[in-house]
Amino acid sequence: MKESVLTVEHLTVYRETYKAVQDVSFSLESGTDTSIVGPNGGGKTTLVQAILGILPRHSGEITILGQPLSRKGYLPANLRQQIAYLPQNFLVDRRIPMTVNELVGLGWDKLGFQLPWANHKKRSHAVRSALKRVNASHLKDQLIGGLSGGETKRVLLAYCLVYPRRLLILDEAPAGLDIKAESEFYDLLYQLKQEQDWAILQISHDLNMVRQHCDRVLCINRTLRCQGTPEVALSPNSLSALYGTDFVQYHHSH
Amino acid sequence: MFFQTEFTHVIELFQLPFMQRALLGGILTGIMGGVLGSFTILRQLSFFCDALGHSALLGISLGYLLGLNPSLVLLPFAVIFALAVSYLLEHTRLWTDALLNIIYSSSLAIAIIILSFVGQYKGGLNNLLFGDILAVQQLDLVLSSLLLIVCTIYIGMTLRTQMLLTVDESLAIARGVSVSTQRTVFIVLLSLVVGISIKSIGVLLVSAFVVIPACAARLMSRTFTHYVLLSAGLGALSAVLGMVSSAWFNLPSGPSIVATQLAIFLTAMVIPRLRSVTHSPSTLPPQV
Repeated sequence: MKESVLTVEHLTVYRETYKAVQDVSFSLESGTDTSIVGPNGGGKTTLVQAILGILPRHSGEITILGQPLSRKGYLPANLRQQIAYLPQNFLVDRRIPMTVNELVGLGWDKLGFQLPWANHKKRSHAVRSALKRVNASHLKDQLIGGLSGGETKRVLLAYCLVYPRRLLILDEAPAGLDIKAESEFYDLLYQLKQEQDWAILQISHDLNMVRQHCDRVLCINRTLRCQGTPEVALSPNSLSALYGTDFVQYHHSH
Repeated sequence: MFFQTEFTHVIELFQLPFMQRALLGGILTGIMGGVLGSFTILRQLSFFCDALGHSALLGISLGYLLGLNPSLVLLPFAVIFALAVSYLLEHTRLWTDALLNIIYSSSLAIAIIILSFVGQYKGGLNNLLFGDILAVQQLDLVLSSLLLIVCTIYIGMTLRTQMLLTVDESLAIARGVSVSTQRTVFIVLLSLVVGISIKSIGVLLVSAFVVIPACAARLMSRTFTHYVLLSAGLGALSAVLGMVSSAWFNLPSGPSIVATQLAIFLTAMVIPRLRSVTHSPSTLPPQV
């Protein structure tokens, strides 16, 4: 049985004085993959950051795994660790002396007040498994500053996978991956959704991929323009209304 | 023979209580500076630390002006000042380095003006600027030890949080980390370390204790945990070697420690280059 993982009601978010997201409502169930599409500057990243508590909201309610997210972005630690987030622009300072192993290990369990070596064995095992899952085991001892864009994305995905989650939020995650890695990435998301019942919310600009892999689409341009299955939400008429231009669709095979 | 005489002389010097206190004070300051410094440089707070050191002179001068013990005024002043500057940095649209420059140069100027009114302290300005580690008292050691314990527990128990915050703030917030709380605690600890260290090494050199060992450790480390530990170790090592060289060659202690830190940093810079030169295969094309 599907359960509600995320509920957003009448959400309005400002970026400084600019109203970036206005009166958006939707909900997400476990075992589903929902994509947010829309033009640049349409408020997609703002919406996701407000859901995570990175940006404060002006009004509206956000409920994650049955618990309301407070105005200051507080959510109990046991729920926080069930959410994973892969940001759009992850710029690693190349001078940070941190290995891939260490970064992925930071995704494991909660981050509170604890001895640094607590649960070291369990954590190491989980890190190895996560890296193997994204085909990045060979990178484990590399410094994160020396990774390519695609490798960084795979390592960040391992950071998300290292601990059992219920909600995975991705901001243009496959950008920077090659065709093979992108295909593996979507296969992995499918497994997480089908086998482990994760709810996935991802921002994407690749409408063909959205059509192929997602169950539901939210069309955002400052406000929610439409939502529904890819067939409905990505129809030429909906897209023309969303992007403000006439849309002609071309399909490609991958 | 000369070496043996000098060695005996140094050993005798370190049997004097004030030298032992100075050595212990240097080690404690070195470890604290190393631990916090490892995060300070990665979060690009080096200049903030420098500004904090210079501004501490204002706290000391205010203490003299008000007829209070400057050591007692310095710590609360350093904390309040650091929090105020941190707030300003977050809430103005000016460049961080420009704002810090305004703050530290103007507070230094005001401090010197105030000190010019306090006749009794004119002669001691040198001590304030460069410190006097040999004047470290029992109370200073107790305060340093307590602060070191607090820093070690805090950084140790929140190490994973600090690491994630250093890598990317948005990832940390998404995991429920209160960035403002963590930042405030770190700034308070850093200002206390700077405040306590000023007596030993002075306002001009205090930031060296935070910045140089951490930079040297960065050049020699491949993992984050190793980096933090090495930074603390190099802070302590430079204090010991600096004190010994100061006793051996009869040099001022604080600057000797900073010069030792520089020597360690330069060594850390050169070693990987030497290693790459000796280990890399020849780049010359094969001769036909």
